[in-house]
Amino acid sequence: MNRIYDFTLSLFAGVCGLLLIASVAVMLGFLVGQGGSVLGLKLIFGSTDFREIIDIILLRQVVINALWPALIGTFLLVFTALITALPLGLGVGVYLAEYAGKPAKVFFSLIFDLLAGVPSIVIGLFGFSVTIYLHSHFSDLMPCLLISGMSLALLVLPYLVRTTQSALEELPSALRVTSFALGAEKSSIILLVLLPQALPGIFSGIVLAIGRAAEDTAVIMLTGVVASAGIPRSIFDNYEALPFYIYHTASQFSNQHELQQGIGAALVLLIICTLLFTGAGLLRKKATHHFLYHSK
Amino acid sequence: MINRSGSIFSGHTFLLLLTAGCGLLILAVLGFMVFLGRPLFTADFFNLFMSSVWAPDQHLFGILPFVCGTLAIVILSLLIAFPLSLGNAVLINLLLPQLPAKFLYRIVKLMTGIPTVIYGFVGISLLVPFLREWSASGSGMSLLSAALLLALLISPTMILVFVESFTAIPQPHLNAVAALGGNVRHKLIYTLLPGAKNGIMTGLLLAAGRALGDTMIALMVAGNATAMPESLFASVRTLTAHIALVMAADFDSTEFRTIFICGIILYLGTLILTLTLRVFNRNGSKADLERGLS
Amino acid sequence: MIPGRVVEIENLSFYYGAQRVLNNLSCGFAGHSICAVTGPSGSGKSTLLTTINRLWEEVDGARVEGVVKVLLDNMEIDLHESKIRLAQLRRKVGMVFQIPNPLPMSIYKNLTLPLRMAGIKNRDQQRQRVERVLQDAFLWPEVKMRLQSDARLLSGGQQQRLCIARAMILEPEILLLDEPTSSLDEGAVSEIENLLLNLKERCSLIMVSHDLEQVARIADSSVELVAGSLV
Repeated sequence: MNRIYDFTLSLFAGVCGLLLIASVAVMLGFLVGQGGSVLGLKLIFGSTDFREIIDIILLRQVVINALWPALIGTFLLVFTALITALPLGLGVGVYLAEYAGKPAKVFFSLIFDLLAGVPSIVIGLFGFSVTIYLHSHFSDLMPCLLISGMSLALLVLPYLVRTTQSALEELPSALRVTSFALGAEKSSIILLVLLPQALPGIFSGIVLAIGRAAEDTAVIMLTGVVASAGIPRSIFDNYEALPFYIYHTASQFSNQHELQQGIGAALVLLIICTLLFTGAGLLRKKATHHFLYHSK
Repeated sequence: MINRSGSIFSGHTFLLLLTAGCGLLILAVLGFMVFLGRPLFTADFFNLFMSSVWAPDQHLFGILPFVCGTLAIVILSLLIAFPLSLGNAVLINLLLPQLPAKFLYRIVKLMTGIPTVIYGFVGISLLVPFLREWSASGSGMSLLSAALLLALLISPTMILVFVESFTAIPQPHLNAVAALGGNVRHKLIYTLLPGAKNGIMTGLLLAAGRALGDTMIALMVAGNATAMPESLFASVRTLTAHIALVMAADFDSTEFRTIFICGIILYLGTLILTLTLRVFNRNGSKADLERGLS
Repeated sequence: MIPGRVVEIENLSFYYGAQRVLNNLSCGFAGHSICAVTGPSGSGKSTLLTTINRLWEEVDGARVEGVVKVLLDNMEIDLHESKIRLAQLRRKVGMVFQIPNPLPMSIYKNLTLPLRMAGIKNRDQQRQRVERVLQDAFLWPEVKMRLQSDARLLSGGQQQRLCIARAMILEPEILLLDEPTSSLDEGAVSEIENLLLNLKERCSLIMVSHDLEQVARIADSSVELVAGSLV
């Protein structure tokens, strides 16, 4: 009897493992099988002629039916979100790790955990309705790159806060005592000793935040992304983005070519996200080393 | 004495204000939805909006079908993902030799990096047609297809939390069971599962939160019909998808304002999950940070 | 304050929570000499040191009663009354710990850190001071070619000399040493002892030690603590 139980357990676990791996294999197989062949310069620029590509990059030529504007849009989005969220995330993380008393810590941790869990569509709704509210009462503001970037900043803020906070809290307390004995003010200990030591953790938070901002679709859907806008001329413009391109293609495609473009876009986004993850490990090691050992 | 300040920012007060500001912003997300939705909060609120018919052209604005659609998708995806995740965690912690276990773990971590919209895209291209053939009715966009995909999306989070909490069980406890002649099944029943009770709850709650908050999968493969969910193969609409779909409506219409009710329900649902999570997981799980690109 | 002394302690009691570590203790330490504090472990020697640079304030649940006065820049300062900033005090009262504690950064950065934290940003001045304290600590020839390497890769004795150099870089008037040689081997010990004898001209040294032979070798005076009281 017992042996049957044991066998059933192993069988069950094995089947679970196979199911999981098979699902991933089918997904990746489908994307690579169907989209691998379109991956290339044509997918991104709509052309393989180098002169045309240079014109496109220099904004002298408009791209049609290619991923370039969506790629640029996603890049600008991530950039806007990060420069907004990074100072806030670092500041809050430092406050929670180094200054906050126990009650403040418990309260704010809960608040930021809540933010981490709030559905991204709700964040998008917030960004959208604030914009519309401002539009009807004060200014001509419309959903645009800036609004999306700032909404995404709110979305990724908890990742930055939490990684900064835990990176600081995990540092050995000897670092603090030694620095205090050297006659350091608290703020200079934080800036000169603790933050540089916590860089690897902070880096991983930044990478998480980039990945999260690059792949989110729900927030930007509500705050200004459109299917075809070309390269935005300013941060108050509409824009294209990779994840929205994928979503739009999946629901609207009318022929095989468009579907292939969509699969290609999915592959590109997947590659970006995977590279971010694997590249981050190397990058953060190197950056920390540089910061601590090269003084000039 | 040297009388110059080494401090670069004035420290405590500035950071406190910054943190309080960010905290207020988070509360403002709820506050703003309540503020904009306030014309709906009348004595008739429950009759009007908690009814089961959504037909704006007949002035029927019941969002109950979407609440039920959300609950159905969340519960069903958890029912599928929980055993799947437990099986994989047992495989990684107990059954597989080191190398394959590491391989499987890598795959799971890789999965956390796959963007949601890609799950949706592959779902619409492969799973939906497959289910359409198989059920021989409807479009294939259904409660079941969304729940299956969502299960795949939330499993990695659960597996990582489970593995983390299984690993935290002290080896001597496992050795004790082994020394008494216990096998894998005994280790699981007598040490891992009881010892990792909190971790298992944490994993479940985190996964529930992600399933609740997902928009893209439901929007892309659940069909978005406005009726109450009646079977596994019924087309359903979630609260999140409803927000995305009604966006196009006139900003001042009652139809549009219902999305604030949906938003408030989602926000409060998240709040309840977050508070419950606190009970089981005081210090925050590492795997929670690793869930990465959700 | 008695002439010639740089630290004067009166009726000092120290508590960790409910536990009393120092018991109504009065003593003084002379300037430009090595004053040793001896006694069995757990008698409160290290705690006594931390009352002089107020490092005890970084410990949760610690409490002090009594008077501690130090002479800095020829001014008598009552540590518990005056408004002197902690960071300033600790720049004037340096400290070296029992276990060498180089920070996880390069040798050069370890030494310039106190300078940067004190607002001395001039690169040339930093370089000069680094070379001088390393010369003083007999460390210059050994590390001048590897200033950018990790300080934790040095040997134990080198690490401790680096920490002494680091403590000296802001030219403190008082240097507190908490069993500075107890974690080192014999060769390293005698190097450090020579170093300390040389430092007497620059500042006043207060050293905790449980090694009575060492005290006889280098200390000019000594007090003995047992269970928080002077003997």
